[in-house]
Amino acid sequence: MRLGKGKSLLAVTASLTLLAGMTACGGNNGKEPSAGADSTAKSTAKSSASGSQAPGGDPVKIKFAGWGDPSEKEVFTKLIKDFEAKNPTIKVEYLHIPADYVGKMNTILAGGDAPDVFYVPDGDFGRWVSQGLLHPIQEFVDSSSIDTGDMWESGLLRYRYDGAVNGKGPLYALPKDIGPTVLYYNKEIFTKMNVPFPSADTPMTFEQLLDTAKKLTVEENGKIKQYGMGPIWWEGFVFGNGGAFLSDDRREFVGNGEAAVAALQFAADLANVHKVVPNAAALKDMNDSQMFQTGRLAMMITGRWMVPEFRKLGFDWDVAPLPVNKWAGWSGSVGIGIYSKTKQIEAAYKLVEYLGGPEGQKEQSLMGFAIPSFKSMAATEVFLQPGQKPEHAEVFINAAENQVPGPWTNLPNAKWFDMLSQGLAPMWDGKKSAADVLNGLKPKIDAAIKEGNPAIFK
Amino acid sequence: MKRKEYAWAYLFISAPIVGFLLFAFIPLSYSVYVSFTEYSGYQAPVFTGTNNYAKLALHDELFWKTLFNTFYSALSIPIGMVVALGIAMSLNQKVRGIRFFRTMFFLPTISSVIALTLLWKWIFNDSYGLLNYLLELIGIQGPAWLSSETWAMPAMIIQGVWAGLGINMVLYLAALQGVPKSFHEAAEIDGASGWQRFVKITIPCISPTTLYILITSTITALQDFPRFQIMTEGGPNYSTTTIVYYLFQNAFRYMSMGYASAMAWALGLLILAITLLNFWLSKRWVHYE
Repeated sequence: MRLGKGKSLLAVTASLTLLAGMTACGGNNGKEPSAGADSTAKSTAKSSASGSQAPGGDPVKIKFAGWGDPSEKEVFTKLIKDFEAKNPTIKVEYLHIPADYVGKMNTILAGGDAPDVFYVPDGDFGRWVSQGLLHPIQEFVDSSSIDTGDMWESGLLRYRYDGAVNGKGPLYALPKDIGPTVLYYNKEIFTKMNVPFPSADTPMTFEQLLDTAKKLTVEENGKIKQYGMGPIWWEGFVFGNGGAFLSDDRREFVGNGEAAVAALQFAADLANVHKVVPNAAALKDMNDSQMFQTGRLAMMITGRWMVPEFRKLGFDWDVAPLPVNKWAGWSGSVGIGIYSKTKQIEAAYKLVEYLGGPEGQKEQSLMGFAIPSFKSMAATEVFLQPGQKPEHAEVFINAAENQVPGPWTNLPNAKWFDMLSQGLAPMWDGKKSAADVLNGLKPKIDAAIKEGNPAIFK
Repeated sequence: MKRKEYAWAYLFISAPIVGFLLFAFIPLSYSVYVSFTEYSGYQAPVFTGTNNYAKLALHDELFWKTLFNTFYSALSIPIGMVVALGIAMSLNQKVRGIRFFRTMFFLPTISSVIALTLLWKWIFNDSYGLLNYLLELIGIQGPAWLSSETWAMPAMIIQGVWAGLGINMVLYLAALQGVPKSFHEAAEIDGASGWQRFVKITIPCISPTTLYILITSTITALQDFPRFQIMTEGGPNYSTTTIVYYLFQNAFRYMSMGYASAMAWALGLLILAITLLNFWLSKRWVHYE
């Protein structure tokens, strides 16, 4: 009797909880329409873009999420204050996520209640946009004051999506920043060893790079004390040699082509044969910028984002084009996008326009991390910052003009790229030739492209 | 009157039960369902039958490779237990400053995983790292630990042994102090050697602790991944991608939450099987007083 009663009570509690759980799940499933929302969103965008202002009265509240170090947080706090002063009808709540931004955003987005405006790293753009999480902004951009003709094409390109691949179709975000990759070099080492500085106008060829790096490598008692060149950012080497990773329709891996193979073999040989680069796969072992900062590297590749850090260095340094035969390589970027289910699309776009537009870009460029999205602004003191390192800041402008988004941004599902970068290990170790490694990887990578990105095969 | 008391009792009991249902049972059951669907994590799941499990078993080389890696990395358990017991025995003595040494050995346990792994990245650095420097002093040219397909996992095992040392040592220390002195005294009178006393008295007396450590570290090892993510990013050539790391990538990077759930359940069942096996085998070597 007692037991029976207990059981029934338990059963009631259990079923109540289950019910609660099910309704919760049901609510979750309610977010399904966002996939088909693209077309409807577009039409609402059209009507509201040409439509009226937010009605007077209560201010509209929007949430904005991003990450960044304390200096970036400070700049954005300031920008938002300024934005609110100019738009008294909009209040912005700034959500600063200092660590594991993408991981946390994934959870927030899956939960279905994301901030209205948020940072979209270009590497995660494909995943989020293909899941219908971003609101198209093309029509807003077209009817607003933003002059896309004055913006870096490659900066905009990576935030386009045509329903299958990134890089084509309407815009879904504006670049917050774009960070070209260049060659940094320690001027003191060059002067001390009597090696002429690399040209700021013409990229070194592979041969010139090898030659220069050899002169700058110092060996003592069979141990290398100073390397001429830092770890190779191999994607740029492939581009510079005229190679590619994916076919034009993005359905196929073409990184086993002649130009790509030759570039990668050269990159591996720099470490294994010529020994002018620290163990090429050893990027992880010791941070290359730490080696540069301690004078153990004469040259290294990295992005614009290292400039504020390097400005604190005790020695003189400058930048030169990526040493890859011609102006080429990839640039990194973070975009600012709008959540597809925002209820405040107009206010949200106003914020995107402000941060991605001239005012926001100016403040961010002054920090030194990035090059402004606007070509005309990049050519001014805002970016060139005369009197501050690097002396040849215009190298970044040329690089931004010529560099493409990283290959991992090319498809919504990046598993193919992970397989490529993992699979290159035997080549970096010098155990296999680049041709063998890449030909061996091709069928596996092709399969991963197909499995992960069914939309491009429709 | 009595009835009322029962009602109250059940009301109190219901709190943890509701909590369990809400935060464990329902999500778990949902993940069983999800494992039979194609589910990106953002859109509604689409039922696909046993596709995910078939892919897991038949078409995904990486799943098997990462499973192998996981068991390989679990080599740190037996090694770690032996080392922890050794240290516990040397710390189980009345020496001056013993508290200082106990604290020293326990310190890694309370430090942040991220800080420790970053530290070890430096220790393992091939040109400037501490480990290769020490090896060089005795005339050995150390490998490029973390960037070599052969040496990356042994490096992670060494780091794993070190990281688990503190907690296991404390557990063993407590167990050793629970071994009755009278046993040892009696054996000594009967003329047993130190080694005999260790094997016949100490080991059986601390065997419940050994079982506890074995089971908990097996479960932890099979689920391990943050330190791999930080130190090697699973590379080179997937040589240090553990199964949970691969699962994480599928769930949050490749938009295959359904597949990742199937993987999680396969792993869960595997852990269950190993734990049951451990319990069953333990009847032969664990002695409870």
